[in-house]
Amino acid sequence: MKKLNWKTSLFLLPLVIMLATFSFYPIISSFVYSFFDYQTNDQSIANLYTTNHFNAKLFYEDCDYLLFYIPDDAALVDEADRAQFENIMDSIRTNMAPYKDKDTVIRLNKADIARLKTFVRTTQNDLNTIYQNNTERQFYNKENNQLLLNEMKQCFITPNNVGFKNYQALVHDPRFWTSIKNTLVFTIISVFFEFLIGMGLALVMARAIKGIGSIRTAALIPWAIPTAVSALIWSYLYDGSSGIIAHIFAQIGLIASPQSMLLTAQGAMSAAILADIWKTAPYMALLLLAGLEVIDRGLYESASLDGCNKVQTFFKITFPLLKPSILVALLLRTLDAFRVYDLLAILTGGGPGGATETVSIYSYKVLVGQSNYGYGSAIIIGMFICVALIATIFVKILGTDISN
Amino acid sequence: MKKILTGMLIAISTMGMVFAQGAGETASSGMTPKKTVLKLAVQADSTPATQSVIDAFNASQDTYTVQWVDMTNDSNAMREQLLTSLKSGSSDYDVLSMDVVWAGEFAASGYIEPLDVRMKNDGLKVSQFNAGSMASGSYNAKQYVLPFFPDLGVLFFRSDIVSTSDAEKLRSGNYTWQDLADMAAMYQGQGGTKDGFAFEAKLGEGLICTANEFTSNWKDLSGGLAIMKQLADSSVTPADTLNYAGGDVNNNFIKGNSVFSRNWPYQFGQIKVNGTISQDQVDIAPLPGGSTVGGWILGINAQSKHKDGAWQLIKFIATEKGQKLMSTNGGYLPGYNATLTDPEVLAANLLLSKEGFKNALKHTIARPVTPTYSKVSDEIQQSIHKYLSGSASLDDTVKAVQGDLAE
Repeated sequence: MKKLNWKTSLFLLPLVIMLATFSFYPIISSFVYSFFDYQTNDQSIANLYTTNHFNAKLFYEDCDYLLFYIPDDAALVDEADRAQFENIMDSIRTNMAPYKDKDTVIRLNKADIARLKTFVRTTQNDLNTIYQNNTERQFYNKENNQLLLNEMKQCFITPNNVGFKNYQALVHDPRFWTSIKNTLVFTIISVFFEFLIGMGLALVMARAIKGIGSIRTAALIPWAIPTAVSALIWSYLYDGSSGIIAHIFAQIGLIASPQSMLLTAQGAMSAAILADIWKTAPYMALLLLAGLEVIDRGLYESASLDGCNKVQTFFKITFPLLKPSILVALLLRTLDAFRVYDLLAILTGGGPGGATETVSIYSYKVLVGQSNYGYGSAIIIGMFICVALIATIFVKILGTDISN
Repeated sequence: MKKILTGMLIAISTMGMVFAQGAGETASSGMTPKKTVLKLAVQADSTPATQSVIDAFNASQDTYTVQWVDMTNDSNAMREQLLTSLKSGSSDYDVLSMDVVWAGEFAASGYIEPLDVRMKNDGLKVSQFNAGSMASGSYNAKQYVLPFFPDLGVLFFRSDIVSTSDAEKLRSGNYTWQDLADMAAMYQGQGGTKDGFAFEAKLGEGLICTANEFTSNWKDLSGGLAIMKQLADSSVTPADTLNYAGGDVNNNFIKGNSVFSRNWPYQFGQIKVNGTISQDQVDIAPLPGGSTVGGWILGINAQSKHKDGAWQLIKFIATEKGQKLMSTNGGYLPGYNATLTDPEVLAANLLLSKEGFKNALKHTIARPVTPTYSKVSDEIQQSIHKYLSGSASLDDTVKAVQGDLAE
């Protein structure tokens, strides 16, 4: 074993930096987020808080609005109550003054938090007293002031680290398990057929016949088209009212009507799998072709001398020698298919009633659609665990094979 | 030879790029002082209305010039793009145009500025603007938006096919969904039409709007959803109604394929632009459950560096001058109530003088204003679409929707 001296470490440095920035940092961030109730559409949990904080900006704004709304109501009441309103407004002015230019959430000590909480409660009680003393009057801002005071209560931010609560919710989430099921169905079926077709294609492409160069290029075109573009093409082909493929399938009798290609659960899943097979079978073929090229021609000659037919040659010579390539190809394709996003997002958008919603689509909907970064990160970590499991299984099989 | 040619090509293209850069710079550096650029994030407009408002604003003052940042027409994608940008605290946009249902979320997240003080200082009152749009932008007692253009779902029908007495009944609004279903079945196939009634039932926000109307603002869940499914399953509606988005309904109706359709007012303008039928063959009626309020509203980015300019722009677009241009050049409904009775606007916008449309304006229903609107809408969409595609029962769906609404 060679020792790692400083020259070798220098060579490794760029790789380590890239891995750290683009692989480890996002994974670790997601991991940290998953332990918090982190949602950006609620200002009291819009960040990772481990201690008490105070939303000074919103507090100042709400105090400002109370001062804006109270005078209209104060004009409606008698001298004594008007003086009361004035007192309340003075108290508000005093308490809001320290936070005039605070642009963000700030940390605050316990004493200040307690004092401000008391202030909010007292203001609410005092206002309610005046309003209840004058029930016959139609006030302009009675409800508005109530809403403002409730919002002020949300300015007191408490820690939002929730430990394993997100993971508990994840385990009990039926939508997550449905998405895992959909993903597995999609992965297993599409990889299986891609493998068979890819194998056949590779055997054809390995022959040394005239024009094999152009055959190889033509076979690779589906793989070369960006997934988003091919997903769009397939959605036009599958369209219920004007899609040619849907029409042909309905004529043959494979599906009940052209609409059921994208509008039924099985139809949509089959449509997606078909599009994926069309797209990635050439990729499998390419990986397997590389493995085929390495096999010694001499073995085939001796096999034909011994009187083996094509089928026996394939199973006794080609297949065993191809095993490492097959395992690598399967590993890459399975991991890719498990993380599928763009094909399904564009073709079905998660499918009729969530029938083609895979884990990536579900996590995207939660993360970006619902701004729930805590739970979304938990889903992502769940997916990470699945992917790690698949990779480990394959590597174990690969490992035992190579050492044979 | 090849090497010399390649060398010359590279040299010429490099010199070209350098000089083009230089020429561009000399052209723009003139004697005029630089105007502050206000970035307006709005979707593409198929009419010249938005551009005309921007031009009018630029011409009306010397301090600001507006840069129209073209946003994607996919509303979901636009919302996500805005959220991503605003979450990182960027000041990429000064004025944001938002769909009515986003304002609650944007306000709760602290991404847009409340406008009450500015409105008061400039003498503007909430009551001067479209009630539905203003209500959609009011969160926790603060007003965050002014209307860009409001919208409401209405029933379009072929007045040349439907009998006079039925048309009157429709225009008055005194009819039920069952009446409409019967009428659609009766008139289907007449006057060159194929379908009786076209409406949106694709998985998406449009489904929420239509369901809102069928169920009278979520009050009659079992009756409304049942008739929605009955219509979707029957031959009165197009075969792939469950995959019909607003654009498909539009295409279907303006090409004369259906007698009735439920869509947004823009469809009326589309008849003139892209349709094979003509506008005097079409009339408007209010919907039995009320009209869902839609449309777009304007807010100021809380992180914007030019908030005063942004306010000037919003004020211009939302009041008399801007709204008149939007209505006359684009056929949009004015969000400024005084413009509704302006004779030029009435002349340019046939919809506003139609009795059925005026009746529809009187009975508008809104979708909930909540920071978690996206989640609630997503869940309700899933439940209803499952029911319509036959994978869930009515009772289960009603329970699910009630649960989602209670959140």
